[in-house]
Amino acid sequence: MLSRRQFLATSGAIAASGAMSALPAWGQSAPAGYTAAYKEIVEKAVKEGVVAIYTSTDDVQGRPLLDAFRAAYPGIRIDYNDLGTNGAYNRVISEAAARQVGSDIVWTSAMDLQMLLVSKGYAEAYKSPEAANLPAWADYKDMLYATSVEPVAIMYNKRAMGSLQPPKTRAELIEFLKANKDALKGKVASFDPEKSGSGFLFFNNDARTTNDTWNLVRAFGATDPKVYGSSGAMREKVASGEHAIAFNLIGSYAIEWARKDANLGVILPPDHAAAFSRVVNISKGAPHPNAARLFLDFMLSKAGQTAMAGSGAPSVRSDVTEGLNIAKLNEMAGGKLKPIPVSEALLESTEPKNRAEFFQKWKQALRG
Amino acid sequence: MLIAYDAPKYRAGVILALFIMVAAPAALIIYQSFLDAPFFDDGVRFSLDAYRYVLTDSEFYRALGTTTLYAFGIVLIAVPLGGLLAFLITRTDLKGRKWIEPLVLVPMFLSSIVLAFGYTVAIGPTGFITIAFRSVFGIAPWSIYTLPGIILIGGLSHVPNVYLYVASAMRRLPSDLEEAARTAGASVWRVSIDVTLPMVLPALVFAAALNLLLGFETFGIPLVLGDPSGLLVLTTYIYKVNTIFGAPTYQVMAAVTVFLILITLPLVFFQRRLLRHARRFAAVGGKGARTNLLKLGSSGQIVALGVIGLWFLVSVAFPVGGIILRAFVENWGEGVNLLQQFTLANFKAVFEIPSLFRGIANTILLAAVGGGVAVAFYLLVGLAGHRNSGPTGTLLDYSVLVPRALPGLIVGLAFFWLFLFVPFLIPLRTTLLSLLIAYIIVGLSYGLRIIQATLIQVGPELEESARVTGATTFRTWKDVVIPLVRPGLAGAWAMIIIVFLREYATGVYLMSAGTEVIGSLMVSLLTSGAMDHIAALSFISIALTAVGMTLALRFGAKMHD
Repeated sequence: MLSRRQFLATSGAIAASGAMSALPAWGQSAPAGYTAAYKEIVEKAVKEGVVAIYTSTDDVQGRPLLDAFRAAYPGIRIDYNDLGTNGAYNRVISEAAARQVGSDIVWTSAMDLQMLLVSKGYAEAYKSPEAANLPAWADYKDMLYATSVEPVAIMYNKRAMGSLQPPKTRAELIEFLKANKDALKGKVASFDPEKSGSGFLFFNNDARTTNDTWNLVRAFGATDPKVYGSSGAMREKVASGEHAIAFNLIGSYAIEWARKDANLGVILPPDHAAAFSRVVNISKGAPHPNAARLFLDFMLSKAGQTAMAGSGAPSVRSDVTEGLNIAKLNEMAGGKLKPIPVSEALLESTEPKNRAEFFQKWKQALRG
Repeated sequence: MLIAYDAPKYRAGVILALFIMVAAPAALIIYQSFLDAPFFDDGVRFSLDAYRYVLTDSEFYRALGTTTLYAFGIVLIAVPLGGLLAFLITRTDLKGRKWIEPLVLVPMFLSSIVLAFGYTVAIGPTGFITIAFRSVFGIAPWSIYTLPGIILIGGLSHVPNVYLYVASAMRRLPSDLEEAARTAGASVWRVSIDVTLPMVLPALVFAAALNLLLGFETFGIPLVLGDPSGLLVLTTYIYKVNTIFGAPTYQVMAAVTVFLILITLPLVFFQRRLLRHARRFAAVGGKGARTNLLKLGSSGQIVALGVIGLWFLVSVAFPVGGIILRAFVENWGEGVNLLQQFTLANFKAVFEIPSLFRGIANTILLAAVGGGVAVAFYLLVGLAGHRNSGPTGTLLDYSVLVPRALPGLIVGLAFFWLFLFVPFLIPLRTTLLSLLIAYIIVGLSYGLRIIQATLIQVGPELEESARVTGATTFRTWKDVVIPLVRPGLAGAWAMIIIVFLREYATGVYLMSAGTEVIGSLMVSLLTSGAMDHIAALSFISIALTAVGMTLALRFGAKMHD
């Protein structure tokens, strides 16, 4: 039995050595593989002392990343603002217009809004030394980087499914909804593309890349469907058995939930392996530009990606062994993982005409 | 200080300052509604497109229709029920009415998001009450996700508003007429219908108008219970037009808000006229008519307590029980053994996550200290309006209306912009002061009403005698009015604490890292869907409110004006 003091000393030492081995050279000088000049960025960042983040990732999920960064750079404070996707966008454009830029880093899951910020000149180009470790689709002109790969999934409640067999693919899901539409009345949920940017991103991406999307929405529409603005809201209702099944929700979350609740099942449909990313940029005129660069590099580094993957945001790097990574996901999807690329194509979905068209089809299909 | 000796200038100054504080956000919103882009955009132009969009959108009309049904529906539920409760508690010898009264007010002090979420856990399709009911009767024949379900819940939650007005009118009634009727052999119910009811009719009509207004502005209950099935009201429609274009489209949000103002302003106007009449009417009864209470008799007691018990069960025990349950379990619902799910992890998380912990600390600070500042401010305004007729008095009346007609979410957004673009306000933006200022405006109509009601209780003869002996208006306020209303101020403070604890919409756009507040955190958690933390925060918020309420009663807060 260790005494309390021994215990504290030992665990402290373990934690310290763990941090050191996971983060070689971080905080001391330029990290391994970076140019010697990087030392200057580190020094300036420490002098700036703060990095302000506008994000849609909540504090709980973001914390391991923040803790890892703090351990590496204890001198830099993190102002973490969970504003939601629209809130972050609103604050960035409003502050820019008032010439009071408050954000250094903008990191949200609204890939389209983030691309809109980039295209309207609210982002600063910065070539991260980590860019070489990312897939080509994850880096848009050194302005916008993907930090995660998060599959779109189906989640179900084993008890509430009763005798129904859960579908294993998306094609089966469509058949499943059609065949059991009476038994499933009020028991099927999905993302609301009208109220949620992520929901729109998923369904719009589906509609553009597949030809069965409107069939799916029609089958969904026949079940007295319920739509939600977040995956978490769907979890609550599926876990309680109010809904038997939900589709097109964020799979990385669902996998975490299913780990804690044996009654939940998750399917990453191999015939439809779409994935989105949380994307990050540095704000134009960021008040702490060096701290911003340092944080962005850290997010994309092996250490940062390890921390994020550990809290449920699968890594965009295949060399990260913690949790899930892009290579493992691709394997799970039979080599057919289709991440939504960080590209100008995302802007199509911000065009009012395209959106109006999408919603018209959406409503029509939902009505059957 | 010149104004210290000059009441008219003081009045004009305070009222003008107040007018600017309330008119600025409203003007910004109206201006924004006539533009084609955010008002701060380069190359922004005047345009009616936002109105064109709204007026040609079938969803807008559907939301308008739903809102209208909702507003009238809750009036039909809340007014008779609130009137009945007020009658039983103020005019009869109902047993235990002393401790029933504060309980009647509980739903008023819970934010509607918390209430609605609590109902889901209690009587949603897999709520614990629903499951228990179904296991006994085989079927649970209700749905809280339908329009009637939402109206019923909304109506029940608005009972306290009616109660406050009607009870205060009933307290002022002399009992001689009722007694005469009783002596002539009329039953308690006859008396209440034929004698009491006509006398409090103005108060009932006023309460109806108030609830109609609140119905048009409702947000939390339809957001949580109606949204998943696509049931929209005007405020959730605003929420939706913010996302449907991809990027936030402020002009459309603003245009919908203008419609909301157009609907609610006449209501507020009508309500204020009624209030004037109601006061005059009730004053006829004279003061100090301490009444003899109607005797219910033993069967009457049972019926009355039964009605109150049922109301309490559905309006308070269900939603609060739902929240408490959810806060202490990991999972709930069909086939879940709740005993195995017990956990304190949700609370542990709340205290470990810096933003949530700060949110609790900030909320307490804002409610307690900020509430005190707010009461001081309302007192300054109240004195400026005290026994003041003429143009500044009218301006004051209308200034109080403006924030009533705007949804809190929109007021918060407008204040966010004001703090961003008005040079001398810039340093305040990322501090709690920005939230405090917005809260003061949002709580204005409520807080000022309490203060005005307290001030009006000071007999004019006392002030007149001070003036006759040569005191200035200021001297009179300082030496006569304020000392007399001091106990009322403590009560008002406690009430504002509760109002600020409950507030959620105003802070959504204003809070930053370091200035989080519980209510607005819950809204942002709702978008990421962390129900575990929402439940724990709600529980803490309810506990804080209970403390505030206890303080309020200890300070002798007047629950009625």
